Amino acid sequence: MKNKKLVIMVIICLALLVAALPIFSACGTKAQPGQTLKVGITTPTTGPAAEKGAPMGDANLDAFKYINEELGGVKGYKIEVDWIDSKYDAAQTATNVKRFMDEGDLIFGTSSSKEMQAVMEIANRAEFPGLVCFNAPSLHRPPQHIYGQTPDYGDDWTAFATYYLKNIWKGPGKPKMALLLLNNPTGYGARDAARAAADNLGIDILWDGQVGKAFEHTATTTSETEALTRIKAMNPDVLYISSTPAPTAVIIKNAYELGMYPNITIGCGHASFTKKLVDIAGADIVEGVYGVFPTANWGDNVPGMAKAMEYAQKQHPKDVGNLDYITAWAQSLIIAEILKNAVNNAGYDVLAKGNVDSWRAVETKGIQKLKNYDVGGLQGPVNYDTGDNRLSKSLRIFQVKKGVITPITDWIVAPLVKYESFDWFGK
Amino acid sequence: MSLPCGIRNYTYAEDMAIVRTRTHWVLLIGFLVLLFTAPLYFGNYWLGVFNLIGITLIAAVGLNILVGYCGQLSIGHAGFIAVGAYTAAILTNRLGMPFLVGLIGAGVVSGFIGLIFGIPSVRVKGFYLAITTIAAQFIIIWVINHWGYTGGFNGIKVPYASIGGLVFRSESSQFYLIIIIAALCVFFAKNLSRTKVGRAFIAIRDNDLAAEVMGVNLLYYKLLAFFIGCFFAGIAGALLAHWIGFLNAEQFSFTESILYVGMIIIGGLGTSIGPIFGVVFIRILQQVLTVNLVPFLENTFTMLPAGFATGVTPMLFGLVIVLFLILEPRGLAHRWGLFKSAYRLWPFSY
Repeated sequence: MKNKKLVIMVIICLALLVAALPIFSACGTKAQPGQTLKVGITTPTTGPAAEKGAPMGDANLDAFKYINEELGGVKGYKIEVDWIDSKYDAAQTATNVKRFMDEGDLIFGTSSSKEMQAVMEIANRAEFPGLVCFNAPSLHRPPQHIYGQTPDYGDDWTAFATYYLKNIWKGPGKPKMALLLLNNPTGYGARDAARAAADNLGIDILWDGQVGKAFEHTATTTSETEALTRIKAMNPDVLYISSTPAPTAVIIKNAYELGMYPNITIGCGHASFTKKLVDIAGADIVEGVYGVFPTANWGDNVPGMAKAMEYAQKQHPKDVGNLDYITAWAQSLIIAEILKNAVNNAGYDVLAKGNVDSWRAVETKGIQKLKNYDVGGLQGPVNYDTGDNRLSKSLRIFQVKKGVITPITDWIVAPLVKYESFDWFGK
Repeated sequence: MSLPCGIRNYTYAEDMAIVRTRTHWVLLIGFLVLLFTAPLYFGNYWLGVFNLIGITLIAAVGLNILVGYCGQLSIGHAGFIAVGAYTAAILTNRLGMPFLVGLIGAGVVSGFIGLIFGIPSVRVKGFYLAITTIAAQFIIIWVINHWGYTGGFNGIKVPYASIGGLVFRSESSQFYLIIIIAALCVFFAKNLSRTKVGRAFIAIRDNDLAAEVMGVNLLYYKLLAFFIGCFFAGIAGALLAHWIGFLNAEQFSFTESILYVGMIIIGGLGTSIGPIFGVVFIRILQQVLTVNLVPFLENTFTMLPAGFATGVTPMLFGLVIVLFLILEPRGLAHRWGLFKSAYRLWPFSY
């Protein structure tokens, strides 16, 4: 009987403790006004995207540590980071962003476009500004309160197509381009950009049967010989692949076996154009393949690289060499610059409130005052242009030379495409 | 229902009553008062968590009717939630229909889709039926991603829910909407189990051959179970769509379907209170681990290897579920029943 009484009392205490948890966290002390600038970061550190999310979360926190400890914060104010794992889950990300709003964070950042898609309506409705590392047109078209740190997959295609026409295409008339795309937003971003901009650029797109239907493949494909045979029959001049490293390697190998490559030019989007592609396909197969990427390569001789490498080696050695680390490091630097602008232009008192007035100030006096901010050369210049929520529109063209992904251009600006003006967009 | 010592039922109404004693009424009213005044003392974050719990509860109640009462194993529930969500989105966004039309339409369409995928249940059961529901999950998601009307991979926006001129913009207004609908769904499910339909479901679950011999029409009742279970999923999907405001098929993954099955198992299959316990337990556990424990470990124990704290979350989550299944396979509802019995007997256990 004594044991039963004890068990019942323990259960009641546990139940009360669990029930009281929300009250404890809701009553938690906020940062003292004017002392810190609060930022919310959510990354998929666990879950299906952990391979990319974990180094990005590490980089975000390392960069803020660097800003606070070595740069003295932003205008003397430390950045206080609310970091929560999103687990690559839409519902979790939604609750995370609501927590950021409750905690008085001034801006929030996510890694992937999927996380931001899940919360963009919540953020847009509340006018809570957000910055996403990997962008997609649906996030920033039409422009509201979500900003893209890097160009999206459609910008990849536009930048490559522009470079191809100026520097590679020597023939008469229009070049014929085939698209072999991953059957998800990575591929469809390039498809939409091609459909919107190819005619203006002067490129003939070889569609698969009907306009707007590109040749597609899955992420687990082991052979694209069938699709490439049909493409070969159309006599393309250039093949553009927007996919991840493994399927891209398969496609390039099959194109090589069919004798298509190196007779035609092959260009790749940034999702696949990493060292992993060279490792999987083999340096001799991918020799001469072009690709685009929105950030500097690991170890590039740019001013901001040394500090990023130092922190990666010191704090997270397993992330050394990972380009996602560079991207997220740059995201934190951009957020700090935004807060610096906001402090300069709006003042601490407004930001310290942590409410919709602060968010408006961060957006109009912080984000929209970004002009040619150089992120230490880690990515293209960061610039806000009215009506364009892509904070960086620049990419570099790379080519595989002797097995090494080598930059061959400076930053190329991908022009803005107003997808919402096309009635087929989103359908 | 087991009653406190000295309480007897003298009328049929008393025997059938869900809330029987004065203590029950006091506790129920107290709970409802606490629940409906929650927006006064919780911020948007916790109201968001409660909204997610409410939406999940509606779907879990539907799945409990299908799996717990009727014994038809379904591991594609997230797909049916997606059908409801996208139906509501299309009706309200593309066709400009009112929210209530979208809500009911979502339930009906999801119910009919569930009915179609439930047809194999007449011939197969157990794991074989589970495979057909898994197929439903993947087929539905494929259709959503490739049908232009749903926005395909780009997704689709969903406007605020509104009834008449009242727009549910704030988290607290959405809380009231979701909680009222969830309460109605739980009340419906509780009463369903006490009707002829509910008893037929239970008979099919316990021994479908014997049920058929007794005159229970298997085809009719199995399909009805699928319709009702997926109707609830559709309602949950519609509310989720209006709560999040933007839909993408990746929000309805296969992992979600498995999580729903886990919730009703942990809560207690075949009980009316089981889904409530299961959903609350899992969702609160997710929040406590992700939002409170991991940052606490990261900030307090800086000597831990990088990534250790975040890795603790899925480990602990899995461990809790495994321990539960080992130590209390009948779920939290059974433990609650034991607690109530012990409380009634205490201090006299003999």
